[in-house]
Amino acid sequence: MTTANDKYWKLRRFAVISVSLAALVPLTLFWGVYYEYRLSTIEKINSVITLTVMNHKEFIDRFLQETITAMKLVTNLESRDDLKQTENLQRIFNTLQKEFDHAFEDLGVIDSQGDHLAYVGPYDLAGKNYKEAPWFTQTMADAVYVSDVFMGFRGVPHCIVAVRRGEGREAWILRATINAAKFAYVVESVRLGRTGQAFIVSKNGICQTHSRICGKIMERASPDVVELAPFEGVRYRKTEKAGREVLVAKTWMNENRWLLVVQQDADDAYGELGTVWHRTLVVFLLGVLSVIGVAFVIAGRLVRRIEKGDEERSLLDDQLIQSQKLASIGELAAGIAHEVNNPLQIILMEVGWMKDLMKRESLKEVKEVSELAESIREIGIQTGRCRDITSKLLSFSRKMESVVKGVDINKLLEDIISIREHEAYLENITFTRDYEANLPLVHSDPSLLRQVVFNLINNAIDAIAKGGEITVRSRLKSGTAASSTAPGSPGDSVLITVADTGCGIAEENLSKVFVPFFTTKPVGKGTGLGLSICHGIIQRLGGAISFESQVGKGTTFIVEVPVEHKRAQGGAEP
Amino acid sequence: MILPPRVLIVDDEERFRITLSKLLAERDLDVHHAGSGMEAVQEVQHRLYDVIILDVKMPGMDGIEALREVKRVSPGTEVILLSGHATVESAIEGMRLGAYDYVTKPCEIDVLMEKINGAVEVKSARDERLRQAEIRSLVDRRPT
Repeated sequence: MTTANDKYWKLRRFAVISVSLAALVPLTLFWGVYYEYRLSTIEKINSVITLTVMNHKEFIDRFLQETITAMKLVTNLESRDDLKQTENLQRIFNTLQKEFDHAFEDLGVIDSQGDHLAYVGPYDLAGKNYKEAPWFTQTMADAVYVSDVFMGFRGVPHCIVAVRRGEGREAWILRATINAAKFAYVVESVRLGRTGQAFIVSKNGICQTHSRICGKIMERASPDVVELAPFEGVRYRKTEKAGREVLVAKTWMNENRWLLVVQQDADDAYGELGTVWHRTLVVFLLGVLSVIGVAFVIAGRLVRRIEKGDEERSLLDDQLIQSQKLASIGELAAGIAHEVNNPLQIILMEVGWMKDLMKRESLKEVKEVSELAESIREIGIQTGRCRDITSKLLSFSRKMESVVKGVDINKLLEDIISIREHEAYLENITFTRDYEANLPLVHSDPSLLRQVVFNLINNAIDAIAKGGEITVRSRLKSGTAASSTAPGSPGDSVLITVADTGCGIAEENLSKVFVPFFTTKPVGKGTGLGLSICHGIIQRLGGAISFESQVGKGTTFIVEVPVEHKRAQGGAEP
Repeated sequence: MILPPRVLIVDDEERFRITLSKLLAERDLDVHHAGSGMEAVQEVQHRLYDVIILDVKMPGMDGIEALREVKRVSPGTEVILLSGHATVESAIEGMRLGAYDYVTKPCEIDVLMEKINGAVEVKSARDERLRQAEIRSLVDRRPT
């Protein structure tokens, strides 16, 4: 039993592993696809941030370049003297504001000595001298200058664009202050996720725009926030700052004076990837769990089906072995019976002869003649018993031609009970009838069926001995055939049950019940052939006989007889 | 004087033949016996028997074959078949070949005697009918 359980357990394990592996392979492939997707997405995100910094540099450059171009245009079109006139300067300022969407905060004209000749703007800067201002020197030298953010006379951080016109003492400068809000808007307009930010740091490490990462405008940026080492092109890297992983892309601009930095938290940048990762993980785990679950269910069902099939096959094997055993025993019994009958015949003849001799006058004088006669009579009786045994043996093995007719099972049962009821009553045994009404007629051999039921009832009476109950039941059993709807359809059968409240059958004897010569009855009372003959008869009638027994509680024999007559199947007929 | 019925016992078991011979002789029968089917056929060719008790299963020529030969040689002899293993098939074949009855071993002498008496009566009645028929035929042929 343990071996069988081991076999099924191994089979179940094998099925679970096989089904799981078969289903996990596509899941693993799916995982591989996800991994590829993840790599390509990371690469895409990296390139997006790199591209962003490049685009943004170009955008800021273009803004500054357009500003410079416009101012150069003004210096070319307007003379210094014209621009000295405040109305003219105001007109130009208004035009520039209109064209550049209020990108300018103020506009002023400065001569070669640094004197502020004219000014349009919110501050009182007219008459100021910028000769010492670094931007003035630089503009006079280079003709065009974009300053870092500085405080200047106005005392607030600002950035200027200055364009020089003319040379030497005739030179003059048109200077404009970039609207801080506008410039901040231009620089900070980068939007990457929730945390993406762009800012500019001067090569001296001063924040040119306000940002959460770098700090306030004009503040010195922390060296661990921004590295100011010079390089060409765009540099990208993933780094850890303040306990967070961040993606940083940067590039130098404005003649390598400004470092444009675009930075985004890795969590934010890879946010979608994270969501996809979580979803993928959930899908993968659910997939794995459902695959394993399904594998268990399938394996369970598979193994149960195999187990059931094995049980059925084992039962059939047992029945086949039993039938073959009975058949071979039957043949053997027939051979023995035949051989025994010849000597029995001689014994009977000798008995007859001795009886004849006993009648002779000469023997009548012998004193022990009566004892001799008694012995001879006993030999005759015992030979008769032997004859009964061989006769039953032969009937067990003989192929009888069944006389098939419609049998009313309830009537047949009643006939047999009525024969045995009185005798049983004397032993305090009662019969309980439980017949199903309207049973169809069974096409079978009534005399053989009668023999079987008679035998079962006799056995039940013997098993009870004194005081008990025998229940005789009849039931219709519907066949499995789809057409079997009306009672008596082909495939239907009638079940005859004979249940007693007797001693039951000991467990060690359960397998021997139908074996010829097996009996638990006292010597001389049973031949051990009754049930084996019943078994042979019922098989011959195409039915089945089975039993259930509990020691001390009783035994129930169930005989199933097909409604339609069927010849015995297989080679079970002895 | 009426002659006792003549009976031939055919069986391969010698002891059976001897004892049954004594039993039947005790019952006033003229008993002879043969140990095989072949012997029985030879015996019938030499002597007329009223009844033959013939064992079905014997080595060499079996009872059924012997019956066929006996009936061919002496159709008027009644044959009682005796078998240790009676089957419907062998019984039907025996009856079809003209056996009077079929008895299963072991049987008591009284049962066998009943069968022998029955066979003798049947044979006597038939012989009587034949004799009467013969007389009638002789009377009819007598010149008037």
